[in-house]
Order: sequence, then structure tokens, then C-alpha cells
Amino acid sequence: MNQTGPTIYQRRIVVGAALCVAAFALVGVRLVDVTIFKHGAGGVVSDHSIFARADIVDRNGTLLARDLPVVDLYANATALDDKQGAANDLARVAGVDAHRLLAGFKAATAKKPYVLIARQVTPDVQDKIKHLGLPGLESEPNTKRYYPQGRATAQLLGVTDPDGNGQSGLEGGLDAQLRTAPSEAVQLSVDMRVQYILANEVAAARNTFHCIKAGGLVMDVNTGEMLGMVSFPDFDPNYRHFTGDDTDKNIMAGDRYELGSVFKVLSFALATEDHTMTPDEVFPIGNGFKIGKYTIHEAEHMPATYTAREILAHSSNIGTAQIALRSGGVRQRAFLDSLGLLEPRLTELPEYARPLYPAKANWGTIETATIGFGHGISVAPLSYIAAAAVVVNGGRKVVPTFLKHPEDGRGAQLLKPDTSVKMRELLRYVVTNGTGRKADIAGYDVGGKTGSAEKPILNGHGYQAHVLVTSFLAVFPIDNPRYLVFVLLDTPKGPPMSILAGNTAAPLAGRVISRIAPLLGVPQRPVPPGHENT
Amino acid sequence: MVRVLNTLCVALMGLAMLALYHVSEKTRVAGVQLSGINREIAKEQSAMSVLQTEWAQVAGPAQIQVLAERNLGLSGAPAPQLASFETLPRRGDDAPLTDTPIRNASVTQPSN
Repeated sequence: MNQTGPTIYQRRIVVGAALCVAAFALVGVRLVDVTIFKHGAGGVVSDHSIFARADIVDRNGTLLARDLPVVDLYANATALDDKQGAANDLARVAGVDAHRLLAGFKAATAKKPYVLIARQVTPDVQDKIKHLGLPGLESEPNTKRYYPQGRATAQLLGVTDPDGNGQSGLEGGLDAQLRTAPSEAVQLSVDMRVQYILANEVAAARNTFHCIKAGGLVMDVNTGEMLGMVSFPDFDPNYRHFTGDDTDKNIMAGDRYELGSVFKVLSFALATEDHTMTPDEVFPIGNGFKIGKYTIHEAEHMPATYTAREILAHSSNIGTAQIALRSGGVRQRAFLDSLGLLEPRLTELPEYARPLYPAKANWGTIETATIGFGHGISVAPLSYIAAAAVVVNGGRKVVPTFLKHPEDGRGAQLLKPDTSVKMRELLRYVVTNGTGRKADIAGYDVGGKTGSAEKPILNGHGYQAHVLVTSFLAVFPIDNPRYLVFVLLDTPKGPPMSILAGNTAAPLAGRVISRIAPLLGVPQRPVPPGHENT
Repeated sequence: MVRVLNTLCVALMGLAMLALYHVSEKTRVAGVQLSGINREIAKEQSAMSVLQTEWAQVAGPAQIQVLAERNLGLSGAPAPQLASFETLPRRGDDAPLTDTPIRNASVTQPSN
């Protein structure tokens, strides 16, 4: 049997058919790849995909920070005939230094002909430069961070550098989050309405009393959310040119203060918790309280005796010192530690301040007495309000946050709920019958405490007479507190009695509450006719 | 028979090549158009982004307060003068605020 293999033609047909099959298979594989595995890869670009950082919005969605398209502008110096004229024109329109441009143009070579004119040139400036009609101008797309709310959010949001890296404020603290998902806005706990009102009122009070610095905080005592934070002097985050006393320092988070009498709230809370005093117990006040070689005095004349309630209401140092001494230094230190006052208060902000307080071995009798009324310990205002929130929110630990977190954020029970109830009654008494009367806003049961602390002498011992830091801690509505307002005025000017906290910080807090309470939906109680004091 | 099949295969191959080229070219043109549309979308989004930012600025509380004070003569109302729609009586109902018409006002909790 003669078996012959395929002919040359048959082989060619097989090879041709194989090539056809391979070609179609390739097309088929590619089709599957494109339609199934890479589906959507070439779709519509997502919103803001050209930008490097996510938007920042407030709790209601109001825009606070956004990347806007700008360009970095370069000039090909070899294409410029009149370098001097071009440098002058570009400097005038772009707002840069003409000498730098001219030096750059002269130094440019054929190998390195490009000179940077300006970074982050906005569209309106681009148009003006275009109208100059200069040859050799080239641009590179870039972005610029813009803050539509301006100075009102300056210290809170901070700024980015020209390369888009967060430098301060929440821009710095949330840098990684803002970069990870540029298309997803980061929602803060801040309410822009509250933030603006706080800024507006604190700035007005700072001007009235010619203060060096001033600040304010608004916090939800149950969730820990910060609804507002302002610090003055501030700056314009969109121009970043500091003028006058502008600064990017955030005194509420990054500075520490001896806060004075607002600390009495903590001494009373501890004494109430430990049952070492009752509100109606009578204490001797007199004309000075000697502890060893030191004598504690009052800021103003006071009667021979006061009940504990009156001690807080009229802010007696002597009475509070006695109450603090009943708790003792060890217990006082442990209590302040449990409230987080002996550690820096860390939040989403990069700014924080380490507290200053006596070493354990030096925490003696006089230190216990003075710390009881807020001297001898310096903390950041943000740290203080986190501790004060525990006193009024049912006694549970709460951590301040700048990210939206509407759920109950209260943690460990640090004080008995009953202690918190008693403290609210005392704080309300301070406002109705004590130094905080000017914060009593009709319809909103405000509780609070004044603080007028003499400032320590810089690089020395002792305190500066009549140079005060005044502050006010306010909580409302006092029967079931939701919001805490804290304001601080650094070195208010005026006659001695007129610059105490009751005349400076308390009315400021009252004005803030009267404006933000309706916006925050706080139910208003009926006001008897003739008592509409606001 | 084989010759006919060969011819048919070659013809089919030619046709397939032409069809493939046609599809490829249409895809390329569509790709170019898509790129153009994407650029337009990005441009529009960029413009919208700028406008939204401008709106956030001009509608911000600082601007509104200045304009209200300058042009409308308005100033901050005392809290007891503020009320919400929920407190207003329905038609035919007795006015619930007869005694203290404004001072009983309350406002609702905003949604978080």
C-alpha cells in the first residue's frame, strides 16, 4: 500500500487555515479582554480627577477648601528679543520680581532656555499675560488650594505649600486622607455657620478690648465633634502674605495657658465625686489663706464666709483652695490625669501643646491649692474643654474630633452621673447668681464659669498685675447639655474691674450662644415678659 | 473542489482583513472622539469647580452678613425673636402661642 503524505498545496492550505484561526483567536481574545476585563477603563474621568487633594466640606456640605486649576508659567528666554521689557511686563502683570526674571533671562542658554515666571497663575492673570503678546511663553497645568471662607477658617484648615502638601491645620493633619482619595470630599464636624459666628464675635471682642490674642471653641459634649474653632490673630489663607500681626499660630490647640478660675469647675467636680464637700457647706473666706510661707488672696473683697455654692459662683480662690486641699494632691493629680490634662491633647490637628505642671515629687500642698483654682498648671484650651465636657455630659470621657461623627462618642465613665447633675446645677448658679450673669441668655439655660488669670511674668517668677487672660466656659442647655462654648481673651485692656472675665469673656460667650443656639436647633424655653435680655 | 475551497478561504480571509481594518479604524476614530469628549468633560468639570468655589465664597456667611447690614439694614435678631414654621398654628387652630407669641418659639434639630 502506497501511503503518500499531504501534498505541498495541502500543507499550504493547513498553514493558511492555521494562520486564519490564530488571527481570529487573537481578535476574539482581545475582544473578551476589552469588553469584559477592561470594561470601563476608558470611561469618563471622575469629578476632580485632575486634582491632587480632596475637597474639604463642613458638616452640612458647605465647601471649605478645594483645588482649583492654575498653571505654572515659563518663558523660553531665547525667544525673547527685548528681555528687559519682557521682564518688566511680566513682573507687573504676574506680581513677581522683575530683577529675578531679568537675571533668569540673561542666564538662560540654548540647552536650558526656560525660566520660571510664576507658579500657580490664576486664569485672570493668565489672560492678562496672554494679552502682552510675548513669544515663548509656555504653561504647565497645576492646582492651587483655595479657601472660599477666607480668614474665618484660617487656623482651623491651615494651608498647603505650593506643591500641595499640607503644612498646618487640618490640611496638615489630614494630609494622607486628603491625598488618598482626591475625588471623595472629607467632611468635617465643623458647622460653617457656627464657625463664622464664633469668628465674628471673637474678633469684635478682641477689637473692643484690644487683646493681644483671642480664641473660641464650640464642641458637642456628647459626640466630641468640634463645631467651631477660631484663633486670633489670623491670616488670609488665600494670599498667605502676613500683614500686621497676622500669624498662623493656633492658640486654642497649640498654646498653653494658666486658665485660672475655670479650673475651679474641676476641683468642685472632684470634691462632689468624692463627697468631700456639699454645695451648702460653709467655708471661711476672710482676708487671706496662709499655706506655709504663702498667702492666697482674692481678686476682690469677699465676705467672711461663703457656702461652697457661693464660692464657685463668686469665684473665691480661698474657698476653692480649701476644697482642693480636702481632695489632696495625689487624688487631684490622678483626677486631672484621668481627664487627659497631664498629656498633650492629640486630635486631627497637627498642632498641640504639652501641658506644664509640677513634677509628682513637687506636687505639694501649695501646688494642690493653686492648681485647684487654675494657677500652676498650663494646658491648651482644647485640652481643657475635653475635660470640662466630661463634667457636664454625664461624666463620660469624650475625645474632641474635627471629623463628622454624629453618633454618641462618649466612652469610659470617669465621674458618676449624679456628680455631673450636681455640677450642672452649680454651673447654672454661677450664671444666674454669680460672675457669669452676662452670659445668661433668655430662653437658653446657660451654665458656665468665668476665669480671670493673671499672666505669669515671662522668664521669671510671679504674675503680672492686671495683665489677664480671661475666659468663659459655657454649657447649654444646662438640664441636658449638648453644646459647650469656650472663649478666651488674652490681655484685654481697660480699667481693672472692667477687664475681668465676667465683663469680657462672659458677655462674649453669651452673644455667641444667642446666635448659634437657634441655628443648632436648641429648644428655647418660655421667657417671662420683660426678660428678653438679648 | 479543493481549489474552490482554497479560493473561498482566501476570499474570506481578505474580507475578514477588510472588516477588521474597518472596525479598527472606527475604533480609533471613536477613541479620538472619546478623548475629545473626556477633555471637554474635564474642562467643564474644572469650570464648574471654579464656579462652585466662587459661589461658596459669595454665598458665605461673611458676605451675606455684610450685604444684609449694608443693603437691608438688618442686624442679628435676639434669640427670643426667632421662631420656626413648626410653631405656627394651622388654619382654624387656636393659636398655641397666644400668651407669649414669640417667646415660646423653638426650632427643630437639624439632621446630622
